[in-house]
Amino acid sequence: MRRKKINLWPYLLVLPALLIVTFVVFIPVIEAIFMSFQSYDLRRPDKIAYLGFKNFAEMFSDPIFWLAFKNTIIWVVFGVGLQFLFGFILALLLNQSFRGRGMIRAVSLIPWATPGVLIGLMWKWIYDGNYGVLNDLLIKLGLIDQGITFLSQTSTAFGSVIVTIIWQGIPFFAIMILAGLQVISQEMYEAADIDGASKLQKLFHITIPSLKNVIIITILLRIIWVSNSVDIIHNMTGGGPSYSTQTLSVYIFNKATVLDLGYSSSMALFLMFMLAMVAVPYLKNAFKER
Amino acid sequence: MMKKLIALMFILALSVLLVACVSNHNSTSNQDTDNSEDGTSTETEQEETQSDEEEEVELTYWYWADNSEYSNLMQDIIAEFNQTNDKGITVIGEEYPWDGGGYSETLFTAGVGGGGPDVAAFKLTSTPLFTANDLLVNLDDYINNWKDKADIEENLYDIMKSASGTENLYVMPWNTQILYMYYRPSIFEKAGVDVPTTYEELLTAIEKTTMDTDGDGNTDIYGFGMRGATGGQEPWGSFIHARGGDFKNMTSEEAIQGMQDFIDIYENGYAPPSATTDGFNEIIANFKSGRTAMTVHHTGSSAEMVETFGDDVSAFPFPEGVGQWTSMGDTNNVIFESTEHKEAAFEWVSYLATGKGQEDWTIATGNVPVSTRVQEMDHFQNDKFMKASIEGVPFAGILPIKDTTTEWISTVWPNTTASALLGDITAEEAMQQLHESLHEE
Repeated sequence: MRRKKINLWPYLLVLPALLIVTFVVFIPVIEAIFMSFQSYDLRRPDKIAYLGFKNFAEMFSDPIFWLAFKNTIIWVVFGVGLQFLFGFILALLLNQSFRGRGMIRAVSLIPWATPGVLIGLMWKWIYDGNYGVLNDLLIKLGLIDQGITFLSQTSTAFGSVIVTIIWQGIPFFAIMILAGLQVISQEMYEAADIDGASKLQKLFHITIPSLKNVIIITILLRIIWVSNSVDIIHNMTGGGPSYSTQTLSVYIFNKATVLDLGYSSSMALFLMFMLAMVAVPYLKNAFKER
Repeated sequence: MMKKLIALMFILALSVLLVACVSNHNSTSNQDTDNSEDGTSTETEQEETQSDEEEEVELTYWYWADNSEYSNLMQDIIAEFNQTNDKGITVIGEEYPWDGGGYSETLFTAGVGGGGPDVAAFKLTSTPLFTANDLLVNLDDYINNWKDKADIEENLYDIMKSASGTENLYVMPWNTQILYMYYRPSIFEKAGVDVPTTYEELLTAIEKTTMDTDGDGNTDIYGFGMRGATGGQEPWGSFIHARGGDFKNMTSEEAIQGMQDFIDIYENGYAPPSATTDGFNEIIANFKSGRTAMTVHHTGSSAEMVETFGDDVSAFPFPEGVGQWTSMGDTNNVIFESTEHKEAAFEWVSYLATGKGQEDWTIATGNVPVSTRVQEMDHFQNDKFMKASIEGVPFAGILPIKDTTTEWISTVWPNTTASALLGDITAEEAMQQLHESLHEE
């Protein structure tokens, strides 16, 4: 019996990419997992030792961790939810025929193309309590007498940063949904017209079901990205005032920058686990399509 | 077949290159670590030190500057040093933003990762972190054999030593900044208050200079430009000490009363509502736009204050209450253990400490010189801001330098104080949290 010849060619082709991913992703992740079980604090290098689950126990009894966890849920639910809603509306509008559509489609992409650090700085000044353009506008419209310190009060700071992430993410949803809209067969709408369907009926029975896969994948991707987002909050508030805008990723970043790498790795591991729970349906969905 | 062979060779070459890059990086890092762990000069280092005198030496210098004028100034000082030193030393200045202390983190990460500079501008608070990781050169022998040693006061060396928690000197003094209170004489006149000489008078002045100037029912001028973001712990410390408190025991009644004063100023509307998140840029912008009557900073900003207000800006040292304290900022220089040119690096830091670099930098920036020769120059003796700084020297101090200090400054103090200012926690609870975070073992 002839032995089946093994084809090494595909393995050789993926080898360079695999090596890069191994060194840049896998090894650091494994290192972070090890660190999460150690008192890996570079401010106290002589005290680095194996701790077991002590970092995790400390994490679950840390009130700032739970506040950050609650904020992360709010950040993702409102951030991604409203990005989707407004992105969907924008995509429906941009799918209509009107003069200058190409230019408006291009302009509407600007927030997505702008770096997060720049968005953070820009919105920080828009919201500024003393010289911000938003306050200036509200005062000139006669809606308020004195500037509102949007980012300096716990009652308004988190809402303000959520508005910023919504503004940034709308174009991404709009592009993805617009691409989906353009492949829906016009024949279905024509058939519905013949049957006397209303606009709402066409939206809920043709458009949305046809976009199901696009919507699921886009929402899942955005949940992962928004959960991991640090740049906007870090540049606008640094997580303050009074930890009111601190999400888990910002807390991890703040702890890591003061070199408490063990504790920040534990929280990162927890966040990774949470995101994996969201990512599994995404991966299952992706493989099911094959 | 030929195509497959070429593609195969290309893939193999890519893989070998990638592995080689990684292993080369590791071996370089290991070499650096070996040298720093040893703590003594290896033969190679000695050879390189000798060759410093004969060959051209290039040094990388990291620094930060508060504005573009100071950036140009530093580049000019570097250019002059490069032209005038007779030892073939060329300094390459690389500027990084201070970023509320983020500079020190960047410097540390670069140092640990093997990509740090030869010499860097440095703040004392970072000393334990850097020395614990063997990143800095011990300067004891260099200073003891230095002809200008006596030009710097002994107490400055002592503060530098205490910062490291050892008997060794790792930090070369460069300049200091003593915080004082800026005020607007025209606003004081309008409010009918004199320059405060006691802490109680200061609290009254803050209240009286808070004014509604156009009668629309809204405050137009706030008495005190409070800094609630990172860095605000320095002026805040003056309030704590003025009531008799200190940093060693922040839960004492006196310290809590100091915190209560700070809260009262905010709650009574004597500070801008944005104070909970106001940092350096905001307090300076508020003062320069006439929105605040007083704010705490140092001579680093005096040139731009005079440019804005002319004679309508002056300064006084933070007044005495039960106690008196003001923060002594410091900017120093350190030499990295990883440098191959330690002698040349010391030449450069000594030029900044007592040479022409000291004169040029302190005269232009308004910082307090560490060189007694430079301090005696007329320029420093006749300046009202420098006078307020010099009057503050006897009671100036620094925050306790512990391994918790960096986190305390960057995260704990701003968030805890914001909670207290916004009424989420009491002064007592805030001081309890601040004390525990700073002094945790």
